[in-house]
Amino acid sequence: MSTVSVRYIVDDVDAAIAFYRDRLGFREQMHPDPAFAMLTHGDLRLVLVAPVPADHPGGGSRPMPDGTRQRPGGWNRFMLQVPDLAAAAGELRAAGVRFRNEIVTGVGVRQVMIEDPSGNPVELFEPLRDEARLERR
Amino acid sequence: MAADPLDALWLPVVPVDTRPEFAAALLRRITAAGGTPAAGGTPAAGGTSAAPGTPAAEGRPRPAGNRDNPTVRYFVHDLDVAVAFYRQRLGFEEELRSAPGFAMLYGGGLRLLLSVSGLAGAGRPLPDGTVPAAGGSNRIALQVPDLTAAVRELREGGVRIRADVSQGVAVRQALIEDPSGNLVELYEPAAGYHERS
Repeated sequence: MSTVSVRYIVDDVDAAIAFYRDRLGFREQMHPDPAFAMLTHGDLRLVLVAPVPADHPGGGSRPMPDGTRQRPGGWNRFMLQVPDLAAAAGELRAAGVRFRNEIVTGVGVRQVMIEDPSGNPVELFEPLRDEARLERR
Repeated sequence: MAADPLDALWLPVVPVDTRPEFAAALLRRITAAGGTPAAGGTPAAGGTSAAPGTPAAEGRPRPAGNRDNPTVRYFVHDLDVAVAFYRQRLGFEEELRSAPGFAMLYGGGLRLLLSVSGLAGAGRPLPDGTVPAAGGSNRIALQVPDLTAAVRELREGGVRIRADVSQGVAVRQALIEDPSGNLVELYEPAAGYHERS
C-alpha cells in the first residue's frame, strides 16, 4: 500500500487518463466519477481531478476557501525515469505530445519536460550516473 | 529472496555527512529494509509495526530499499527554509544537498526534489526566459493517521493552512502551504474505508 500520492488538476479526466495510460504506461485503478480517476505507475499513485464546485462530494478539487479555483499547470511535477530519453522523446513527439523544452543534459541526468493535455508538466529523465538511477540494474 | 540490507544504502550514493541526524536517518532506512540485527521486535511481517501514516514512516517494509521511489520536484524560493520545513514539519529526511540550488529529501516512500527557482539546474530559465516557479494546484498528498491533530499541530507551528479539514468521498483532507507557497495535501482515510493494497 502506497501512502504517497500526487494529485494533478486536469480539465478533462478522460483525456488525461488516455494520455497517462497510452503515452506513459500508467494503469487505471479507478474512475468512479467524471471528475476523478486514480492511476498507478510503479509505486506512484497519480490522482487526476477536474475542478468541481464547492458543494461537490469529492473534496480534492473544490475551490479554496477564499474562492480561488484549482487549475492545471505550474512547474511542480512528478518525474519518470526512462531508459532511453532520446527514443522516448522521439516517440512522444511523433505522437503529438507537447514539449516545454528540449532535452537538457545535467550533471547526473538527461531530462526533458512534456505536458499532459491540460498543460501539466511531467519530467522524464535518463540517469547518466548510478547515483541518479532509481532502479538497480 | 531476502532483501539485501545494503539495498537501503543503494540510492543515492550519498556523500559522507558527519551530522548525527544524517547517521540516524541512514540507520532508520537500514532498519526499514530489515537490515539491523534483531533489536527486539519481529521484522515487520506485514509491515504493521511502522506507524502507518506519519509521512516519514514506511507503510510497509520496502524489499529493495529505495528502488523506484516516486519522485516529485518542487520549486522553492529558499532552499534552507524549504528543507527545514519538510524536515521539521513533515518528517522528511535530507539525503543530499548540492548547494545552492538543489536538495533531495525522502519521506514516506516519496523522493522529493527541491529546486530553487532561477538557479542552475532544474530551476534555470527556459530558452524563452520563463523561470520555473513555485506554486500551482498540483501537489503531493501525504497520508496521516490523525488529520485533525496534524493540522492543529502545524497551525500552532505557524504553518499556513490553505484549506482546513474537509470531508471528501473516501478521505478527509486539508491543504497546507510550504514557505514558498507550494501546496501539500494531507489526508486521512474516512472511517471504515480501507485502501486497497
